[in-house]
Amino acid sequence: MRNLVLKLHIYAGLLTFAQLMLYGVAGLVASAQTAAERPKIPRTIRHIPFTVTASATDQQVADDVYRALRLPLTRPMPGWFLRRTPEHDLLLDFYNINGIWRVVVLERESRLRIEEIRNSLGLFLGDVHAITLSDREAPRLVRVWAYYNEFAMWCLLAFCCSGVYLWLTAQARSWWAWASLATATVSFAALWMAFR
Amino acid sequence: MYKIVRNVHLLLASFSLPFLIMYGLSAVQMSHSTWFQLKPAVDERQISLTAGQSDGRAVARAIMDRDQTVKGEITNVQPNDAGIALRIVVPGTVHDVRYERASGLATVKTSVAGTMGMLNRLHHWAGFWHEPVSMKMWAVAVAVVSAALLLLGASGIYMWFTRRPERRIGLALLAINVVFAVTLLTLLRTSGP
Repeated sequence: MRNLVLKLHIYAGLLTFAQLMLYGVAGLVASAQTAAERPKIPRTIRHIPFTVTASATDQQVADDVYRALRLPLTRPMPGWFLRRTPEHDLLLDFYNINGIWRVVVLERESRLRIEEIRNSLGLFLGDVHAITLSDREAPRLVRVWAYYNEFAMWCLLAFCCSGVYLWLTAQARSWWAWASLATATVSFAALWMAFR
Repeated sequence: MYKIVRNVHLLLASFSLPFLIMYGLSAVQMSHSTWFQLKPAVDERQISLTAGQSDGRAVARAIMDRDQTVKGEITNVQPNDAGIALRIVVPGTVHDVRYERASGLATVKTSVAGTMGMLNRLHHWAGFWHEPVSMKMWAVAVAVVSAALLLLGASGIYMWFTRRPERRIGLALLAINVVFAVTLLTLLRTSGP
């Protein structure tokens, strides 16, 4: 039995190695962040011609922009997400896993202003680690990653169980491992209670 | 060497265990939100403060002095015509405060998450920029467990490689995972902007 659990522990670990490393990196990136807000400095700004249909609503304009630009891994803009700039131009933030395409519809000038805001590699990895199956309308590539993330998530929980089993059935049950577990459990419980 | 690496693996794993269970369970909750009921317990009350205050932090401190159950980080301070709206937050608990400048009355609406909601909030909580000491200590724990996860992976790889019977099939599994992950991450990263 122990040998079988050990094999499964090893194989599942190898099959989810990249995801587990990603979770570690994501935690370190989150630890290194200096504020809740992310920097939103455009990397590039460009303008392209675009004519707004005179009778169109904001939602229709947003849909037209979405179809015209075909920005990768984005999705149509929901109505509740439509905003206006202080100059009253329609502002459309198309999010994808790498950042934001901020599109301002300059109706009077018959063109679009497109700002490309790219997340750092660390933020990208942080976002990738958080992709789940709950977003059923996510682009296909993102969904594929979500399935692997789901697998890794269950494996992580399984590692906790199999790891404890392997430890408890090992010949040498080191006291310092118990001490380490006790320290972590007491710390966790103390912080939990401090927040409640 | 093997014994040292095995002991390091066990030490890191035993320390990380409560946190990894928290991350695993909350990840399940986030991935399958319909499986869980996350409705928080909500309570609303009023606290009398000095009228005419215009500083959000002073209002928040006054509330925390009057009501010891209100504690946490001050966020979302928004002055308005009638007074100030702000939030006092700790993981799992949010105090929404509306202070009326004319009367000095502060309405505090407190939402307390249940166990799964608390796990969810803790999963998202990290960073040393938070002010309260408890949050800084949590940030230390998150950083340590994150680093431990990387070392667990590295030590696990070493221990697997020393086991000859599992080397071939393990290599295939590792290759599948790494090739898949690197390919997909590259495709995602190069999708712009």
